[in-house]
Amino acid sequence: MKKIKAVMVGQPNVGKSSIINAISGARLHVGNFAGVTVEKKEVEVKKDGWDIQIVDLPGIYSLNAYTPEEHVAKRYLLFEDYDVIINVVDANVLQRNLVFTLQLLDMRKPTILVVNMIDEVEEKGGSIDREKLSELLGVPVILTSAKERRGVDEILDRLIQIHGQKRCGCKIYYNEKIEEEIERLSKILLKSPHFTDYDQARFYVIRLLEKDEDIYKIVHDLPIFLELHEALGESMRRLCLEFDAEDVRDIFADERNALARSIVMQVMVLPQKETLTDKIDKVLIHPVFGLPIFLFFMWALFQITFEVGSIPMEYIDETITNFAAWLRGILPPGDFSSAITDGVIPAVGAILMFLPNILILFLGINLLEQTGYMARAAFLLDGFLKKFGLQGKAFIPLVSGFGCTVPAYMAARTLKNPKDRLITMLILGFMNCSARLPVYVLLIAAFFPTHNAGNVLFAIYIGGALLGLLVAKVLRMLLFKGEPEPFVMEMPPYRFPSLKALGMELWIKAKIFIKKAGTFIASAAMIIWFLSSYPKNEALVQSYQQRIEHAAPQERKELQNELQARLLEQSYLGQIGKAIEPVFSPLGFDWRLSVATLSGLAAKEIIVSTLATLYAVGEADEHSTTLISKLRENIDFKTAVALIVIIMIYSPCVAAMSTFYAEIPQWAWRAFYTIYPNVLAWILAFGVYNLLKFLGY
Amino acid sequence: MNVTDMKIGDQAIIKRVRAQEPVKSRLFAMGIAKGNRIKLLDHTLKKQTWEVEVDGTRVALRDEEAKGIEVEP
Repeated sequence: MKKIKAVMVGQPNVGKSSIINAISGARLHVGNFAGVTVEKKEVEVKKDGWDIQIVDLPGIYSLNAYTPEEHVAKRYLLFEDYDVIINVVDANVLQRNLVFTLQLLDMRKPTILVVNMIDEVEEKGGSIDREKLSELLGVPVILTSAKERRGVDEILDRLIQIHGQKRCGCKIYYNEKIEEEIERLSKILLKSPHFTDYDQARFYVIRLLEKDEDIYKIVHDLPIFLELHEALGESMRRLCLEFDAEDVRDIFADERNALARSIVMQVMVLPQKETLTDKIDKVLIHPVFGLPIFLFFMWALFQITFEVGSIPMEYIDETITNFAAWLRGILPPGDFSSAITDGVIPAVGAILMFLPNILILFLGINLLEQTGYMARAAFLLDGFLKKFGLQGKAFIPLVSGFGCTVPAYMAARTLKNPKDRLITMLILGFMNCSARLPVYVLLIAAFFPTHNAGNVLFAIYIGGALLGLLVAKVLRMLLFKGEPEPFVMEMPPYRFPSLKALGMELWIKAKIFIKKAGTFIASAAMIIWFLSSYPKNEALVQSYQQRIEHAAPQERKELQNELQARLLEQSYLGQIGKAIEPVFSPLGFDWRLSVATLSGLAAKEIIVSTLATLYAVGEADEHSTTLISKLRENIDFKTAVALIVIIMIYSPCVAAMSTFYAEIPQWAWRAFYTIYPNVLAWILAFGVYNLLKFLGY
Repeated sequence: MNVTDMKIGDQAIIKRVRAQEPVKSRLFAMGIAKGNRIKLLDHTLKKQTWEVEVDGTRVALRDEEAKGIEVEP
């Protein structure tokens, strides 16, 4: 079958996804763009004997790309192979969108302009003259409303119609002074045998005048580079002089803005003033009530996430435990069975248990984002978070961090500026996740008076959050010194979310989460299991088994626990614990606490069960009185406080760390992220330990 | 005068945009460019964050960026 490949491109919030979803008979594929964690959506559809493939690029404001998503979209547009560009614009803000369209038309590729959300403009008494717009731009124009499924299928017809063309019939030219310089520079570029196409040369020259680094890198290796470079500098000087501007980029921006404004004036009857968004905004971002309303929404979101999300948790846990037991029954006993049923399944299960929480949280966040409220939240909080070198939108991942660090790292994707996102992700671990709660409960019960338990717990949570904000401030000052931290954000109008789009997003997120966490967790769990089960000491097991058989029934359990403890002590994990004991001994930790701390890297709750095993009390939870009394016998107060400090600050669990690694591709940052919380944790714990020692505890 | 001198509800025409790249391109992409009509919609209690409307687009800005937008009533 004959194939057509098209790319769909447009500014954020123009409704590209809903158009994609509205194309009838389309099959959606979701993946990542090569080498980056930017989602790539593709649809395939058959029509009139054609195999049509449409790639949905991330939203992009301008070819002067800024965020990682924009760079992905831009590079795809410039350097990948495709037949047609489908440029989607929002009819409500046509002028701003057309500025980007004009940039795209510089490429002179076959292009279709899709003017979406036309229903919203018409509802308010506006209209757009499609024929006239098509004539002015020189490309086909389709008026669509994804909501009403209007015009969507015409996109495919047009696609088939124009895909064979070599170039678009675009007739947009800039001011003649600018065109003169473009002409002059294009001639130089065309001297190089690499360029035979005048349109491409013209486009590259425009991009060069706009200081596009990607294009600069390409021409840098051409033999005509020196000549071109010199001529480029002269052209820029001449243009700046002519237009009284500091930068040629400003000239192009003004030029396109003026063009777009005149086009809109010719083709559009502007709608009556929109009022609904104004009215809602009067309440939701009210200078006084805005913040309390926002806090209520957040409270509600987290209540629902953790209350409703915990209902299926038990069932999932039960199902997985049963599955492991069933599997143990049919697998031949031995190392393989043990590795699967004791190592992999419980670990993967522990992650799957968080799936309901994560899905609800994502649904909520998606809802906030799609309705347009997220931008308002960022608006309200930016002033406060700015003091710590963070951005308004960072609030969502930071609060998610109190639930679970894994979805919090993923929620940080809402931050488009890479630096803001990185700083936010680097401090997310300080927001105490819910998995640490059992450990705190155990330690507080063992070492603090009951009437103070609530206050201590509160202090731990607040302390973590404050420390996080302080660290953010320090990171901003030391590592991102002097770099601008712009906060220029579109506040989209309020919209009713599309249920189909919400469901689709959720499904995609769930799939990605299961795949990623599943693979990382499964391999990490294998390692932990291996370290704690090997080397096997058969002689020890046998000698204990003999003793157990001869022992009185009430002693059996004790011997069983003792065996477990000794096996763990001899395992690689125990050996590692002993090896790192010198590191932790200044904090008063013995090898058991060292191992427990290490095991917390697998998952924070594991600290409780590891302590139970190491102090030989067998199965135990955080309310176990035997464990509490054993801890009191073996650990003194200042060591316990040091342990709490360590748990508050050091690296989160492997699931979280894997998510961080998957989200942040730079090795330097991965290394920094892996090391600094542990160093900081040790230093602070050491300080607290010695302070308490000095105070005589 | 610039945007921070406007009152909520005021409208003006943008005369000049003073900003560093990449913020400048960002402002342009949002429609904050010479000759366009700008309206001040809101600011937070301490005037740290500002909301303006340019040709139907609402944009949130910080104090620093808002100060760089010169306007004329």
